[in-house]
Amino acid sequence: MSYMKSLVASTALAAMLAPGALVAQDLDAVRMINPLPRSTVFYPLVVGEAMGYFEEEGVVVELLPSDTSIPYVAFVQNGQADLAMLDATETLNAVIAGTNINTVYEVMQNAPESVAVAATSDATSMADLVGTTVGLVSDRDRAFLQAALDAEGHSIDDVQTVVLGESGPTLAAAVRDGSVSGLVGSINDWAGLEGAGIQVKLITPEELLASPANTFAMNVDMIEERRESIEGFLRAWSKGMYVSVNHPDVVETMLRAAVPEEWENEAAGISLLNGVIGMNVSTTPRAGDLQTEVWSNIQPRLLSSGAIEREVDPADFLNDTYIDAANDFDRAEVDAEAEAWRAENM
Amino acid sequence: MAVTDQVAGEGGGKPLMSIGMRRMINHAAIFLTLIALWEFGSRIGWLDPLFYPRPTAILESFWRIYVTQANVWHHLYVSLGLVFIGFAAGSILGVGLGALVGFNPVVRRFLQPYVIVLEATPRIAVAPLLIAALGFGAPPKIAIIMLVCFFAPFINTLSGVVNVNEEKLELFRSMGASKMQTLRKLVLPEAVPVIMAGERLALTAALSGVLVAEFILRDQGIGALILTYTRNLNMASAFACIFTLTIIGFLIFKGMEVLDHRIAFWNHSDATDRMSEKRARAWGNLTGGRNV
Repeated sequence: MSYMKSLVASTALAAMLAPGALVAQDLDAVRMINPLPRSTVFYPLVVGEAMGYFEEEGVVVELLPSDTSIPYVAFVQNGQADLAMLDATETLNAVIAGTNINTVYEVMQNAPESVAVAATSDATSMADLVGTTVGLVSDRDRAFLQAALDAEGHSIDDVQTVVLGESGPTLAAAVRDGSVSGLVGSINDWAGLEGAGIQVKLITPEELLASPANTFAMNVDMIEERRESIEGFLRAWSKGMYVSVNHPDVVETMLRAAVPEEWENEAAGISLLNGVIGMNVSTTPRAGDLQTEVWSNIQPRLLSSGAIEREVDPADFLNDTYIDAANDFDRAEVDAEAEAWRAENM
Repeated sequence: MAVTDQVAGEGGGKPLMSIGMRRMINHAAIFLTLIALWEFGSRIGWLDPLFYPRPTAILESFWRIYVTQANVWHHLYVSLGLVFIGFAAGSILGVGLGALVGFNPVVRRFLQPYVIVLEATPRIAVAPLLIAALGFGAPPKIAIIMLVCFFAPFINTLSGVVNVNEEKLELFRSMGASKMQTLRKLVLPEAVPVIMAGERLALTAALSGVLVAEFILRDQGIGALILTYTRNLNMASAFACIFTLTIIGFLIFKGMEVLDHRIAFWNHSDATDRMSEKRARAWGNLTGGRNV
């Protein structure tokens, strides 16, 4: 009998965990698929939630972080996600494959990916990696390495590659022990290494730095249907991004509370935040704006490196229908709200 | 006496320490020696701190994630909720289907090969398909845990039901026992201990299942937390989470043993002995100590 009781109790407990159970009835869930759970890396989400911006817009963010072999774009296509966070290569390949998606907002206008070598290494450019073994944090980084080698006149065939995985100790040991000459990863990987006392230097070719890195893509058929909620979501995201411009200390406090696991190592936390602020704050006058010229410029390089099969007209997939609404907020008001938050919480 | 299992006290041979206590002290001594060696090895550089943080650093992390920062509780709550619901669903399905297949030879003939093929399929390979089919959040995670938990109860139930002692079955038949009587008095008593062994395996496997699920769908849960810690090279906290799972796994195993002793008590001589003693005492109280 006690056995049955425990089963019933556990079932009730788990039922409470069902998605949406805790979502207030009047908020619309915007489902977003990306590689990470709530993190310093995408702090506009954390800030927007801490400031209540998403709630003000009548939306609640349902984050769907996953590491699945199925491309993210498939979940946008089948309606399980409203927005997918894609990098440039993923976006272009999805468009080439004929998927019905549009890029509606550029989350990061500088590539968070980079090529790093140990600080003590003699390597100063991609040419120095030719003939050696280069580590990749994930298979997705192969395209970036291709592009980086191509930018300096080399090919992916000129190096050996090995996928090391996301585990910090494996990456750190590979760099420290010299089992790889360089490593292709992103800013959070470098922050982890630096937090553990392993210094790296970046040798990413200049022309790869200005690249739409993470962008929001959505199903074209849903753009009108979901307009109100997605506009609200993007406006809240932009406001969260803007808070970091004048109030990085406020952002830091929010992150320490929301993702304490990323701040247990003080040095790693600060290094990560300093790095990602530059990635997240848009370089265009309008937050998240779509840069047609940049999308055109990156394609020949991606094509020659084999990362994409053909070039695509950016007009075929860039859709700025939400950008005005995403920027329709009073920046002075956001500054005042951040100050008020500081006064109350710091 | 080949082995001295008791320590003689001043009173001359009065046992001061039970065998269990002595064994526990031995285990603790070995454990503490290993921990001390680990700490020493880490401090003098024998062990790579990237992979093996100092035990004292892990202890500090335990304090931080459970007390000062207290960020682990939410993830534990999520993971354990999934473990129990996945286990419950997998068990119910496993035992139910196992019984159906066991009692019905026709169903057995048709269903068993499929179940065996499914068992041979690595669960981790199925996980992305489950996500594609069920979406995100709790449902695909529960499905993964359910799959992990299904087979041990299924196979054990099937085996318990099918492998009933033939001689006893013949005896029941010859005495004209009804199907229900045979089920209650013979099949269930023989099958329940085997089913409970399957349940014990399933619940322990559920912990692995939740980790697999949370490594793929990394929104929350102890698996997602371990990933964050390892990615950030915070190995002391990652170890604290892993040891938490070890402790939970051990407690679950012990809990299932207790449950097994209670449910299938006839299969454990100590439980039946205790019951006999209790009944003898009760009878003695009733009869005033007279033998009847």
